[in-house]
Amino acid sequence: MCGIVGYVGREAACPLLMDCLRRLEYRGYDSAGLSVLNGDLQTYKAAGSIDNLAEVLPEEIEGNIGIGHTRWATHGIPNDVNAHPHCSSEIVVVHNGIIENYLKLKEWLEEQGYEFVSDTDTEVIAHLVHFYSNSLDLFEAVRKSMAMLEGSYAIAVMSKNNPDTLIAARKDSPLIVGLGDNAFFTSSDATAFVAHTRDVIFVDDREIVKITPEKVEFYDMEGQLLEKQVSTIDWDVEMAEKSGYAHFMLKEIHEQTRSLQKTFAGKLSELEGNVQLPELKLTDDHLRNIGRVEIIACGTSWNAGLFGKYLLESLAGMHTDVSAASEFRYRDPVMDCNTLTIAITQSGETADTLAAIRNVVQYESSTIAITNVVGSTITREAENVVYTHAGPEIGVAATKTFTAQLIVLYMLAIYMGRRRNYLLPDEGKDVIKALRELPGHVQQVLNQRDIIRKHAAQYADRRDYYFIGRGLNYPAALEAALKLKEISYIHAEGYAAGELKHGPLALLENGTPVVAIVTKNRTYEKMLSNIKEVKARGAEVIAVADQGDREIGKYADIVIPVPATNPLLSPVLSSVALQLLAYYTALEKGCEIDKPRNLAKSVTVE
Amino acid sequence: MKAIVLAAGEGVRCTPLTNTRSKVMLPVANRPILEYVISALVDNGIEEVVLVVGYEKEKVMNYFGDGNDFGAMITYVDQTSQLGTAHAINQAIPALGEDNGSFLVLNGDNIIEKETISKLIADHAGDATVLTTPRETVCGYGVVMSAAGKVKGIFEKPKRQISHMINTGIYAFNRDIIAEIENTEISGRGEYEITRTLQNMVKKDRDVRVTVTKNLWMDSVYAWDLLDINARLLANCGSNFSDTSVIDDSATLIGNVEIGDNTVIRAGSYIVGPVKIGDNCDIGPQVTILPSTSIGNNVSLGPFSDIQNSILMDNVRVESHSHISESIIGFNCNLGPYSICEADNDVNIEIENELVSVEKSGVVIGDDCKFGSRTLTEAGTLVGNNCSVRSGTKVDRHLPANSTVL
Repeated sequence: MCGIVGYVGREAACPLLMDCLRRLEYRGYDSAGLSVLNGDLQTYKAAGSIDNLAEVLPEEIEGNIGIGHTRWATHGIPNDVNAHPHCSSEIVVVHNGIIENYLKLKEWLEEQGYEFVSDTDTEVIAHLVHFYSNSLDLFEAVRKSMAMLEGSYAIAVMSKNNPDTLIAARKDSPLIVGLGDNAFFTSSDATAFVAHTRDVIFVDDREIVKITPEKVEFYDMEGQLLEKQVSTIDWDVEMAEKSGYAHFMLKEIHEQTRSLQKTFAGKLSELEGNVQLPELKLTDDHLRNIGRVEIIACGTSWNAGLFGKYLLESLAGMHTDVSAASEFRYRDPVMDCNTLTIAITQSGETADTLAAIRNVVQYESSTIAITNVVGSTITREAENVVYTHAGPEIGVAATKTFTAQLIVLYMLAIYMGRRRNYLLPDEGKDVIKALRELPGHVQQVLNQRDIIRKHAAQYADRRDYYFIGRGLNYPAALEAALKLKEISYIHAEGYAAGELKHGPLALLENGTPVVAIVTKNRTYEKMLSNIKEVKARGAEVIAVADQGDREIGKYADIVIPVPATNPLLSPVLSSVALQLLAYYTALEKGCEIDKPRNLAKSVTVE
Repeated sequence: MKAIVLAAGEGVRCTPLTNTRSKVMLPVANRPILEYVISALVDNGIEEVVLVVGYEKEKVMNYFGDGNDFGAMITYVDQTSQLGTAHAINQAIPALGEDNGSFLVLNGDNIIEKETISKLIADHAGDATVLTTPRETVCGYGVVMSAAGKVKGIFEKPKRQISHMINTGIYAFNRDIIAEIENTEISGRGEYEITRTLQNMVKKDRDVRVTVTKNLWMDSVYAWDLLDINARLLANCGSNFSDTSVIDDSATLIGNVEIGDNTVIRAGSYIVGPVKIGDNCDIGPQVTILPSTSIGNNVSLGPFSDIQNSILMDNVRVESHSHISESIIGFNCNLGPYSICEADNDVNIEIENELVSVEKSGVVIGDDCKFGSRTLTEAGTLVGNNCSVRSGTKVDRHLPANSTVL
């Protein structure tokens, strides 16, 4: 997981590259570097954040062409030497992805007399290109090298011998070219340069881009010139700035009142009790024949997937399994053309999820992708795409994109249920009414931020935290635990409350906080017994319960009320309340909330 | 030129609407009051704006973000304790940056237009300029006495009618008066007030001038004043339907009606402009909307309901056969079938131990209220946020927040 950028134009490259890198910092931040070409090749790198790189840069660097990189370590520890760009005499390379056959290539290159200085897989690309550039021009050398490389990569390459050319290429890692006024950008993510241009061309797998100050050309692996289409990015990078909030995460939590509306805008029809999803190209026949749904996702998206399982089962009567993409791709799944695969990935670039969805093609399973990023790789891999429309999310811990994924899953379940004649119009209407009320209810949860903050501070010093729930509140408990551990580094576990007796009860000590999500549903009474169980073992219970629930105060130490709504929808409200709990806990502990240690926003490596 | 906009105060007299958001965020013609201020600045070429926020600041920051959607560049300054205007300005000055040019100070809770401040910007000279506007009755306002374009004195809410020129709270300052602001002493009301700063400057014979505007400058003293302002602003509304809206062929739309994205107007609905309807609304079938009504985003109106001269904020839900007149319904309210919000002439409304007489008024309902079916809310009633009213009941007095009517 890294971010790469490249610039070719008339302005000084260095400040523009630094600006782009800062905007890409969310992709990784344990080292950074850049190279600028001005007759000579000047390379600077530093371990740590982009600010550390800024410190080692001289006042002014001449040159109108350059590449940069922000890194999240996969091979080799994060230090100056392992930071990109990597050089081989006059060649410099930045790379995002993993070269799988790098050890083999490294041995071979060492036999050819190349000396390796870093522990990274990227260095083989630099030497390989250099090896070929002895007899070929830079473009041909990169093309030739690509044939040798196995794995995933998006690369940008420059050579001292070609002072006005930048070559970029991709396979299984994102790469985008931006077309500015007399300037060309390339990057892993349009966020990097969208302040300078919104006209972009998406680079596809196994394509090579040749950028000079005059023009940009796209080639395939055979060296044939390609015609490419220009797209326009419709969101603002400025939206991605913090606008008054202390952290992106807090901003994004608060944005949920609006982002949820955007997710369902124009799709709900309350009078008909139905949902319109014209983007799905599934025939009635096919829908009726679907015997099983396989949801594939990672991390927070997986938790959303588990919601999806409960929803598709209860609203659409569809047998649903949820798989972690990293497991699914190495399993021998049993599926056929009557299996529907739903892949959930916020970035649309999650490597494991992409690999998994490529795998299902062989079973002729139809596919739906749920993603937040328009034009991301998964949108080209899946037959159908439903966008979450939550806007860019910068905080590493997913918040608004998680709730947006849930909304899409509610809509999908209602849509399937109605088209398969499983869900009655009136039942659909009830859920849709509650969906429309959701933004207002989320606002009511946010209004309680000060109370939640107080409770968070009270327990911030604890070593462990447990989250329990039943039914749809179980995935909500899993997600709440994930949020807390991601940003506050407190050991946190989510459990199905009925599973407590089968092990986790042994872990409870005096004063261990247990968060019980106990909004009204058919398991309410059972949850009360579970709360008594943990209380009896000395745990302190923080209950998330419906507003107006008088019962719960008798059992719990602390009650965080959320507005009472349709039981199917209340886990969304509990999730928002517990996002705030995680945020304020991390704040109390002084953690780096937007950039938790060892984590990156989207995981584009296996 | 840059500008400091004061948006930290609560606006207690606009209760119950300000229980959950600051006055600057109250919507009129579907835009918060503060947006009119920002737009007026941007239209005058002032894009760099420092917003002083405090009370319910998240709602301000969520709406305006970094200002990009509004053509502005907004920096936020958090005034954690509201100690008066001079204190707020003093806190905001570092955010103006290094340049030493003059700057504007405005209140975020007055409705203005581009022309209101263009003369002030053009005419500003001397150390400070105060923008005034003539009013027949100056009761409740600060009053400015001047001679030959120079300020002679500023008086907070005088008992006697000493001048017709009221202080709009809009000023242009030179950067070198910063010391004066810093040295402002605390007033009798326990606040650091910028009017005191100006008084001090006048006493010291600094060059404090006055400029008059006769353009739009409106203040919502009480919550129900929003209806007048709303009607006035809607008078400029155009006729504009979003491409993504769906309007049934049998619906009748007369006059200027604006309809937002993804909004559905169902069969048989009858809408007479000026009316503004936001995004994602579900209207009808058979709904009547009469002038001058603003309906926010994600609102649904059930069959046979009838709305006139009212403001319905975001996420409001009105079930069938309801009647709402001269009323303001806060965010996320839910009104059951046959809910009546009654209107009457010459209503006396008691607020903060004062009796205020209002020519024509309906009801004001705060956020998150839930009304059952067949409820009647009498004219002049204020309902606090998060109240719950059972079916078949009558609300004939003010309800404090979180009340339940059984």
